[in-house]
Amino acid sequence: MSKTIYELVDELPTDGMTVKALNALDFVVPGQWQNLTGFTNTISAVTGETDDAMIQAIGERAVYLYNDSSQGYQRAMWLYNTVDSAAGALGAAALANKIGQDISFLGFLGNLTPKPEKAQSLDLAVKLVVELVAFCQINGIPGDSIGDFLAALGDYGGESLMRMAALVCYDGLIPLGGGFIEKGMASITQTSPDELQKNQTFKGVSDLIPGGNPAGQLGFITQSFDSVKGWMGDFVSSRNLTQQSVLSHLSQVIQVSADKLDYVGAFLDVSVKYYTHTGTQTLARRLIERAVAEL
Amino acid sequence: MRNSVPTFKHWQRSLLGLLLTVVLLITGCQQAKAPDRFAQAQQDSTKRGVTAVAKDATQGSQFNKYFPKPGAGYERVYTQEKKGFSEAALKKDGKEVAKLSISDTSSLPAAAAKYENSSQTIAGYPAITMGKTQTSVLVGKYQVKVLGRDPNFSQAEREQWISKFDLKGLSKLKI
Repeated sequence: MSKTIYELVDELPTDGMTVKALNALDFVVPGQWQNLTGFTNTISAVTGETDDAMIQAIGERAVYLYNDSSQGYQRAMWLYNTVDSAAGALGAAALANKIGQDISFLGFLGNLTPKPEKAQSLDLAVKLVVELVAFCQINGIPGDSIGDFLAALGDYGGESLMRMAALVCYDGLIPLGGGFIEKGMASITQTSPDELQKNQTFKGVSDLIPGGNPAGQLGFITQSFDSVKGWMGDFVSSRNLTQQSVLSHLSQVIQVSADKLDYVGAFLDVSVKYYTHTGTQTLARRLIERAVAEL
Repeated sequence: MRNSVPTFKHWQRSLLGLLLTVVLLITGCQQAKAPDRFAQAQQDSTKRGVTAVAKDATQGSQFNKYFPKPGAGYERVYTQEKKGFSEAALKKDGKEVAKLSISDTSSLPAAAAKYENSSQTIAGYPAITMGKTQTSVLVGKYQVKVLGRDPNFSQAEREQWISKFDLKGLSKLKI
């Protein structure tokens, strides 16, 4: 059986590659993300309640809500998990025996294959759509509500905003450079439904991507990317983000070399699971917020 | 094989001893671990046919029109709209100060039952203050709750915001 919600939150790492890589982005979204871990700990932090019986009641209701599959919370968790593991699938086998350890970039170089620009662009677009669909699942709005998602993006904070910062920096700027939005858009428009179906990241999550068939799904991905590109552009320009600035902050916590830039993106793909990590945190927050309100 | 035990070599005995120690250590640790406090809820909620939300619960989208209107420096941002539940964040100067919510207690009868002992009312509806941050009223089968998210958001403010909901309108909602 899959893990319980409290196990997932209890088992969130307090250190390691993912946490280090996210902390490195504090300069992008200052003070927005604290690595909140532990189920009861999260209940207290989210609700401000400290009474043990109250925490127990909130936690139990959250467990019920998560386990009711009609409520969409499990689907969101599946999306966050799957998009992370699918994107890093190529290097994952080599990484399997290193779980829980910090992996050295240079030591791991031999196991990495840089992704072609097109595959990288598709990854970025698919991950963006996964955020949109997971958002809809968690918040209860129809799965293809691009407009609602766009409105909510402006209001993103905490771990959700950090996830978007990591998407822009680690799946946009680092692998594709400053022109990642244009490159992304160009790549998607040149992609055929057949090619999309062969993309590892898309394959992982395609069951939950709206559109009905690969052509429809490609249309949905294109439309979503097109709608969010303005937000991404503002995000980058308002913070003066460049590939160089992100890389220099990243290299302060994880040893990566700028002259092997092609490999840095591939390395992040296999070693940094930021969708799963911050997605679990978002989900726990929403479940707990609902649980306490319903008691 | 009668002689098998005496032929045990020294290293085999040491290994056996080590294995026994490990087994004891493992079982000892398991006994020492406190039973998981949410394990019962996990077990109960995954039984066949158990759901968290009642089948006939009102859709959250039906609740939105009864929420307090934003204004006077306050922003209202809807955050969840699920079957039986709707919630919005109340923000002031961009910072969340409270959560506003309406839920259908048919999914959680205990939520409604707690008002039976309540002597407090807000706008004529039975009211309860719970924990450090929660004030709520029961309107028919619907619970309206305001949850403080800023330590300075007082109980008086929570009560004030509850009365800003269209409670009368909500009392007429029949789904």
